[in-house]
Amino acid sequence: MSDDIAVGIDLGTSYSCVATFLEGKPQVIPNEWGEHTHASVVSFLPDGSVLVGNSAKRSIITNAENTIYSAKRLIGRFFFSDEVKKAQAVMPYKIVEGPNNSVRVEISGRAYAIPEVSALVLKEMRAVAETTLARPVNKAVVTCPAYFNDNQRQATRDAGRIAGLEVLRIINEPTAAALAYGFGKDINQKICVYDLGGGTFDVSILEIGKDVFEVLATAGDTYLGGDDFDDRIMTWLAEDFLSKHQLDLRQNKFCLQMLKEASERAKIDVGRDGSARIHVPAICQTPEGEVLELAHTLNADEFNRMVMDLVQRTFKVCDEAMQSARLTASDVDAVILVGGPTRLPVIRNSVRHYFQREPMTGIDPDQVVALGASIQAAALLNAGVAAGGQATYLLDVTPLTLQVGTVGGYAERIIGKNTPIPIEKSKTFTTSRDGQDRVKIRVYQGESNRAEDCEMLGEFEFSGFRIGYRGEVQIEVTFEIDPNGIVNVAAADLETGRRASTTISLSSGLSEQEIRTAIDKNSEIALSGHAT
Amino acid sequence: MDIDFIMEVEKRAAALDQMDYFEVLRLPASAGGAEVKAAYYRESRAFHPDRFAALPAPELRDLIGRIYRRVNEAYTVLRDDAKRQRYLADVTGPERARKLRFTEVEETAVKDEQKKKLEEQFGQTPNGRKLYASALQELKAERWEAAERALKTALMYEPANAKFKELLGQVERERPKADPFKIK
Repeated sequence: MSDDIAVGIDLGTSYSCVATFLEGKPQVIPNEWGEHTHASVVSFLPDGSVLVGNSAKRSIITNAENTIYSAKRLIGRFFFSDEVKKAQAVMPYKIVEGPNNSVRVEISGRAYAIPEVSALVLKEMRAVAETTLARPVNKAVVTCPAYFNDNQRQATRDAGRIAGLEVLRIINEPTAAALAYGFGKDINQKICVYDLGGGTFDVSILEIGKDVFEVLATAGDTYLGGDDFDDRIMTWLAEDFLSKHQLDLRQNKFCLQMLKEASERAKIDVGRDGSARIHVPAICQTPEGEVLELAHTLNADEFNRMVMDLVQRTFKVCDEAMQSARLTASDVDAVILVGGPTRLPVIRNSVRHYFQREPMTGIDPDQVVALGASIQAAALLNAGVAAGGQATYLLDVTPLTLQVGTVGGYAERIIGKNTPIPIEKSKTFTTSRDGQDRVKIRVYQGESNRAEDCEMLGEFEFSGFRIGYRGEVQIEVTFEIDPNGIVNVAAADLETGRRASTTISLSSGLSEQEIRTAIDKNSEIALSGHAT
Repeated sequence: MDIDFIMEVEKRAAALDQMDYFEVLRLPASAGGAEVKAAYYRESRAFHPDRFAALPAPELRDLIGRIYRRVNEAYTVLRDDAKRQRYLADVTGPERARKLRFTEVEETAVKDEQKKKLEEQFGQTPNGRKLYASALQELKAERWEAAERALKTALMYEPANAKFKELLGQVERERPKADPFKIK
């Protein structure tokens, strides 16, 4: 088994990255063109194959309806969620409702579940690794935002399976970054990982030592990322264009895409050069047939003013994490910045101001997560290293409080947030009617004591226990959060100890059967640009 | 994987439901916060599931998983000073067998206790707390009359508050006596 290989994959909202552990150190695997990060964009071509990566990103405009990007924003969400509604308004591809309130995207008449789309990105990462390493790759550690809930984690794991990978572990992005930073350094530090990605924001506070990396607290916002910065520029450009030409560019999805692309470029330029020249020739046509162009200059002050509230929101999350860890900013020994948007001077300056220290340099914010994941992949693969006690151990926590629904729409706490995982907790339920043969419970994740304000994970139905008078039969339900942060629920009759059978009657996830079908379908889809 | 370790795992997993959290972390009952953390790291090095991910035997992995979940549970309770004290009292008391695992009941009890302590310290009413705080400040600045006034008003809100009475007594004792015969 020692010649086996496992990769670490950072499955990002906008960009993904793959790395492996070679010759004693983690290394990013480039593709044939020497690119280290790959756009998480999937473009379905007319011949049935798909194009994934930076070349697919270029077809967002030319093949808009058949090109899917930012799928991670939709993964593991219910169709009725706000995020999905928002995506429906701005995405050029078609978002439809699937069974059990799930989300599907429709490409030329065929509906794909979101994990199926993410699986294509993972398949591309796998192909990149296989081409460069010239050997088959079957195992991977895949990362997800620390603040992802159970639905989103399960969906991420499903995506890995659909791509034909054995997912050794789902690990949190900031934890992976901390691992890459502290690996082999033999230091004792309290560190803060500030991870602002394309679509999500996470903060984790860790205490790292030679071989133990303990997450003290984590907090996040899965609705905040670099995309929101682009949105601000877009709104500014569109409003200005509207007042000049009485045409709203946001009404047309084609114009909207050009606007989005220009905004993203402007954000990068303004961060690097202090000002950005925005110029899109022929962005739209007036009803009279006159071709209009979009030309603007964005300077740093203006940009900073536009996004200041977003930046401030990230520090509210930092406050929350610090409070949970019972630390103050001055206790932190090092600050690690992760994610492309942390290159912006406005972020760097604010971080410096908040922590009263210079963030660490020499860490590539786009690659550090994949590097950390590859270290973990190597450790999980190699039993010798681990059993010999030379490995590094990640002691991670659950980001959200696990709750069960009770009468009157309330929720009752089972496992608190920032509890170390894996963990289990049992709770006893009794029957409320004579002869009751099934018990239903709804499981939620979130911080509110109102069930409706939390995210529902599923409805579990237990049956097969003893039948008796009400209050006589006691069912012990055990909630377990595994090392991946995924919740498992099992129930047993308290008196006889017999396991009750469990069915999940409400869930946003894919059934075992659906996953099997998806695996077959996925293996049939050819990746354009790779000889398979 | 050596046979000694496998036997130890089996023994620990079987005894898990009779062990208290101190035994789970192999700690003396007198242990403080720093020792709890050190013990947690030690047990993590021994039983962390990552160590055994490549292990072919699923039964052994399950046992190790059970042990490690209990290690985490023990750490969650013992790392918190208030919870640790409460737990120690529970497992050294007569109801030990029932109190080996810390449940919501105990958690709520700890929270209530903390709240009560806080109330005793600073008063039960918002006005009482505010006045008590200002009295403390006045006292520090040696403005005796102001301190006395604040405390007397605070006692109007909470006539039974022992803490307020004690401080008022202190103010009256420490306050420099004005000489009634002194001519200004």
